[in-house]
Amino acid sequence: MLIETFYRQIGSEIVTNKSFKFSMAVYKLHYFDNPRRGHAELSRLILSQAGVPFEDVRFPHSEWPNMKPTTPFGQVPILEVNGQMLAQSNAIARYLARQHGLAGKDDWEQAQTDMYIENINDLLNAVAVPFVEKDPAKQKEMYGKFMTETIAFHVVAVEKQLKKNNTGYLVGDRLTAADLAYYALFSDFIEVKFGGAFLKDAPLLKSLLVRVRTSPNVKKWIDFRNSKYYPDGNE
Amino acid sequence: MVHYKLIYFNLRGRGELARLVLHHQEVAFEDFRFEREEWPKYKAGTPFGQVPVLEVDGKPLAQSNAIARYLARQHGLAGQNEWEQSQADMYVDCIYDLISGTRPIIYETDKEKQKEILQKFLKETVNPHLEKLEQQLIKNGTGFLVGKSITWADLAYYSFFSPMTERFGDSVIDNSPHLKKLVEHVANIPQIKKYVETRPKTTL
Repeated sequence: MLIETFYRQIGSEIVTNKSFKFSMAVYKLHYFDNPRRGHAELSRLILSQAGVPFEDVRFPHSEWPNMKPTTPFGQVPILEVNGQMLAQSNAIARYLARQHGLAGKDDWEQAQTDMYIENINDLLNAVAVPFVEKDPAKQKEMYGKFMTETIAFHVVAVEKQLKKNNTGYLVGDRLTAADLAYYALFSDFIEVKFGGAFLKDAPLLKSLLVRVRTSPNVKKWIDFRNSKYYPDGNE
Repeated sequence: MVHYKLIYFNLRGRGELARLVLHHQEVAFEDFRFEREEWPKYKAGTPFGQVPVLEVDGKPLAQSNAIARYLARQHGLAGQNEWEQSQADMYVDCIYDLISGTRPIIYETDKEKQKEILQKFLKETVNPHLEKLEQQLIKNGTGFLVGKSITWADLAYYSFFSPMTERFGDSVIDNSPHLKKLVEHVANIPQIKKYVETRPKTTL
């Protein structure tokens, strides 16, 4: 059941005006102000889809030396929940998905959701290698290999799973954090950077990505974040 | 009774955590192992061209941590409540990052270069993590990473640091007395000890 929410922005805080499920937890998500999506975006998508208010803290890199010692492992993102801290982007995403009904309807579906989130984690780790490569020619070659080998292979595999599941979603019969994770990598990053040609033989994945980005709460978040954080169109 | 089949190389690697969870909870499972040369035979049958895969009454689940987490949850080793479960997840995710960091070391054939990469990894990645980890263990105050009793997070740290010290020496965790104590504690758990003594001897 989709929740109609109205977002009113106060500073860097997104507050839902009316929420079907009122959350008693106070969430503060801490991340750098750059990259603007990075390892925090999946959690932001989950909270937005679920219509859950959160404080979206984005701090400049200059503040990091002060902040770093206060984090559990010297890393961000960090989720602060009623004063307690949780580290590791996927642990955070998984926790939020579970708390807010986006992790599948039973233990098996939760495990499937986890599996897909971890697939994305592997792909993110793989693309991180060319991402930090300084030599432009070498970087181009590495990205090319990433797309034609790693991504192409994975797209075939996930298309097969989508066909098998036969609901339009990765897990069960509705949107979960798994679909949001695939959107975050494939649409927000890969399509933006490399174009959509890699989807030409993956109609189910292609329509899933469209389904996610046009899902009302997700769309509201995307429109908001794009206008606020990259109004110049540069990701 | 549900039938588990864990499919992985005849290695510890990314399959070992699931095996430790099952052995610790004394849950029967089919520990299906194949040699590297046989991989092409099995690859096409996996959901994403990777192992480990866990078959639960024939239904496949991929991704080493998704598998170990599912088993930990089903068999009472995941934490006492949802917050503890997420803390355990966090620790296992840390180990996942450390495992990824060892890959360039393991695959480096030049011994001198391998030593160099290892030292860099220990200095820049492992030691800073261990400093923070000691603080967390002290703060939790029970000897375990999460809550008052053992979770799969403790098994994950054992699973990573025990081979690390075997391969590269005790000095890896010399400055982490609480972790050292935890690793020793896990090693001496009867079911774990028995499994480790009887499992196939593998390089990784």
